Amino acid sequence: MDMDEVLKTFIAESQELLLQMEDALLQLEHTPGDADTINAIFRAAHTIKGSAGLFGLDLIVAFTHIAESVLDRVRSNELQFNAELTALFLQVGDHLARLIALVDAGADLNTLEVEVQATHETLSEQLSYYLAPATAAKPVASQPTRIERGNASGLSADHWHLSLRFGPDTLRNGMDPLGLFRYLNTFGRIVSIVPLLDRLPSAAEMDPETCYLGFEIAFASDADKATIDGTFEFVREDSLIRILPPHSKSDEYLELIRTLPEEDMRLGEILMRCGTLTAAELQEVLLAQVEGQQRDEAQPIGQVLMEQSLVQAPVIAAALQKQQQIKDNRSNENSLIRVDANKLDKLIDLVGELIIAGAGARMTAKNCGHSEMLEATELLSRLVEEVRDSALPLRMVQIGATFNRFQRVVRDVSKEIGKDISLSISGGETELDKSVVERMGDPLTHLVRNAMDHGIESLQTRQANGKPAQGNVCLNACHDGGNIIIEVTDDGGGLDPQRILAKARERGLVSDSQTLTEQEIFNLIFEPGFSTADQVSNLSGRGVGMDVVKRNISALRGTIELSSTLGQGTRVRIRLPLTLAIIDGFLVNVGQAGYVIPLEQVEECIELHSDSAITRGHLELHGQMLPVVRLRELFDDDSTPPRRESVVVVQQGGLRAGLVVDQLVGEFQTVIKPLGKVFAACRVLGGFTILGDGSVALILDIPRLLTQLAAPRSAVPFETKQSYAHE
Amino acid sequence: MNELTASDPRAHANAPGQRNTAEHPRQQYLSFMLHGRCYALDGLSVREIIQYGRPTKVPMVSPCIHGVINLRGAVVPVIDLGLRFALAKTQVDRRTCIIIVEVSDTEAAQTLGILVDAVSEVLEVVPDEMNPPPAFGNPIPSAFIQAMLHQRNDFIIVLNIENALAVAEIAGQPGGNNALTA
Amino acid sequence: MSSASAENLYRILPLEGSLSIYSATEHMGLLLQVLAPDAEVELDLSAIDELDCAGLQLLVLAKQEAGRIGCHLRLSNHSPAVIEAFELSGLGTFFGDPILIKPASE
Repeated sequence: MDMDEVLKTFIAESQELLLQMEDALLQLEHTPGDADTINAIFRAAHTIKGSAGLFGLDLIVAFTHIAESVLDRVRSNELQFNAELTALFLQVGDHLARLIALVDAGADLNTLEVEVQATHETLSEQLSYYLAPATAAKPVASQPTRIERGNASGLSADHWHLSLRFGPDTLRNGMDPLGLFRYLNTFGRIVSIVPLLDRLPSAAEMDPETCYLGFEIAFASDADKATIDGTFEFVREDSLIRILPPHSKSDEYLELIRTLPEEDMRLGEILMRCGTLTAAELQEVLLAQVEGQQRDEAQPIGQVLMEQSLVQAPVIAAALQKQQQIKDNRSNENSLIRVDANKLDKLIDLVGELIIAGAGARMTAKNCGHSEMLEATELLSRLVEEVRDSALPLRMVQIGATFNRFQRVVRDVSKEIGKDISLSISGGETELDKSVVERMGDPLTHLVRNAMDHGIESLQTRQANGKPAQGNVCLNACHDGGNIIIEVTDDGGGLDPQRILAKARERGLVSDSQTLTEQEIFNLIFEPGFSTADQVSNLSGRGVGMDVVKRNISALRGTIELSSTLGQGTRVRIRLPLTLAIIDGFLVNVGQAGYVIPLEQVEECIELHSDSAITRGHLELHGQMLPVVRLRELFDDDSTPPRRESVVVVQQGGLRAGLVVDQLVGEFQTVIKPLGKVFAACRVLGGFTILGDGSVALILDIPRLLTQLAAPRSAVPFETKQSYAHE
Repeated sequence: MNELTASDPRAHANAPGQRNTAEHPRQQYLSFMLHGRCYALDGLSVREIIQYGRPTKVPMVSPCIHGVINLRGAVVPVIDLGLRFALAKTQVDRRTCIIIVEVSDTEAAQTLGILVDAVSEVLEVVPDEMNPPPAFGNPIPSAFIQAMLHQRNDFIIVLNIENALAVAEIAGQPGGNNALTA
Repeated sequence: MSSASAENLYRILPLEGSLSIYSATEHMGLLLQVLAPDAEVELDLSAIDELDCAGLQLLVLAKQEAGRIGCHLRLSNHSPAVIEAFELSGLGTFFGDPILIKPASE
């Protein structure tokens, strides 16, 4: 019974639905008129409307209602999706997303910002334009319905009759019947309403959070049955909801009276008071009841109200679709459940603890030399490993969904800037941690936009250079060892290193005497201050905000680099750690401290024979010079080195180095404990872990360590890159 | 699990027998010794006091970070207040303790350990006994001092824990070997 | 309703804020406490800014309970939120004229 939580679910679901709607709209551009796709859009709008009504978000309800009505016309082939309508609905989706974001932020939708309000009105107006002919045709449209149902026994009432007995948990589930009534009033009018208090117990038995209320409602509306039905979607499960269309037959009213829990005569009177039945009709109904007694007794009393004869043809269609939808949802629900990410984190944490405890138990068993005990702990460890292997992927999501979002960006931006650009996607199935995916959205948007704005040339230039008229931006993802690589590539004009260098000199980022490699020059683009807002040329614009992108990537402990061939295109490559909570590590000791090196980055281990190799900072290995560093010296450890040291050869991204350590301990399942804020500035550690004996070991961040080691002292050192501008 | 234990000291602070009237709200402070001087901490920020166990040294960070310890599965940094106060490195002996405190940062609460020579006692303090810190002549940077507590003819320095353990500041202090960039 | 109210037992219970599922348990206790045989009780609803079905149920319960023990319960100074809820639910007439729809016999 937490309204906030329900609202949160609504927001999350709506956002998801809007994404689905967007996908479907983009899909329609390829397969126009596809009924399934159109239905998907309709369902999304419909569900958002329904849920919004429950929260009294009248603005969203009214707006979605118009959109839904337009969609309904599309479904009945009165309208076709064309580029214009698609564009409008994309905007409608955006606007809804904005409104929902406002709800999420706790804003009051009744007082919108001027700009949002303006969008709201413009879109409503544009949508209404598509409805105009329909409104005129409406009386005609409802006519056949009446004729179809206009058999002898159709009664006079021209409103719907709703019989509602709310389930005991309705209020506790966060639903307020009054909210549902308010929602009904958004697409119709409650003509009369009679509350039923029969179920309300005496004070002694009353549970104030249980819902005891029932209502009989006369409801005038042009909406279809599915819409009215949809109002009660979230209470249907434990409530009794009966809906009779206007001009139902007398035995249908009889059936209604019979299936409702209250006494027949009284119900008849209530229906009369609602104006659903006239006195004469009630008489007729009750007479019919006596006549039909015999036959009815054969039927089970709980017989479903909505029998075939009772339901209008369009209602059948709607009901069938609804059923199908419910079935679809069910099957989806069976395979997917929504889980709070925090719960997953907690589980992963616990698995981590389990691994540490398991390692401790095994170590103890080993020390005791108790063979049975040792066997038992071995088995335990194997199981724990399995638990780990199945728990870890829980947080992993495919990057495809994020990539697909760029279809829209590319589509919109290419229209906006008047370039014909397509987006190709590969490696969408590559999985990475959810939290990383979430934080990649902004940097990727920036990179894709940059590629489109400044990478892809104008049509004239492309044609002059003999390139295909349509430009292409490509998003690609793949795994590389313990990392994920994400690439944004374009087939545009590429970058001219000399112009970048000139510009960097002009901005004082590089002194005239400095010579840089091509790679170093390209990386200047990520420097703060390389580019400013004044976009004097394509080149300068190219760098706008690239320093922000780099900062975002660095915050994820990733790296970013750019390569480009003049005239052929540019590629930005982002390398990110998977940020798994647990990795396979290789434990080494230096002095008192234990260090863990991610196993994937360990190439080989060798024993160090000659001390002289180290003093030169290099070691000859397989005929190659390997840079070597003593962790003891690097980390200022003043303990005495052992007589015989070892070298762990680590590699990452083409860089290799040897780390001199005291002792090789071996492979070790490593639970990564984040560094925490205090160590935010530490550049060689990737995290902590706890060893089986309870002591803390440090996890080395090999890629960073290697980058720092590789940085030539004379050129641009990794750490002080930003400061040389002032030299 | 940690949360449960974490709330213990607070529950203790509010134990029924020690309920205070609104007129004389007594607050609890934990006093401890550091480099021969008595300091105190607001009891509400103290989570627990543990015996000194050998911490793991962390290279290339601010020297005032003494190391990290394993506190029931969580890795907690331990700060040497002596170095933080620019006094001297704290020498470890058998009375050395680690006080685990919670410092609220801009966003999240941080759990830190502080190294102290010895824990003295829990003081019950009424506001009258608190004096503002002198403007100058303090033994430690005045930003770290919340108040001076006058008890038994002695002044105890009540620490402003948010400032004394400002995480961003500690994280920002470079330290260690710079062999890489030398 | 005129017989016993001459006793000087006249109570006004001002209710305020939200009379809803969140406060239902608390309000139920309060409402039942204020009811007494032969007393005249006025519920001042002027400061109610939220009333949901749980709140409505409580008011109905109070009314019914009052009738059972012979207490005269009146609702007064309906705030806009109360009026809206009464109108939406069709319950307004229940309090105004209890004959219109007969509450089930206890």
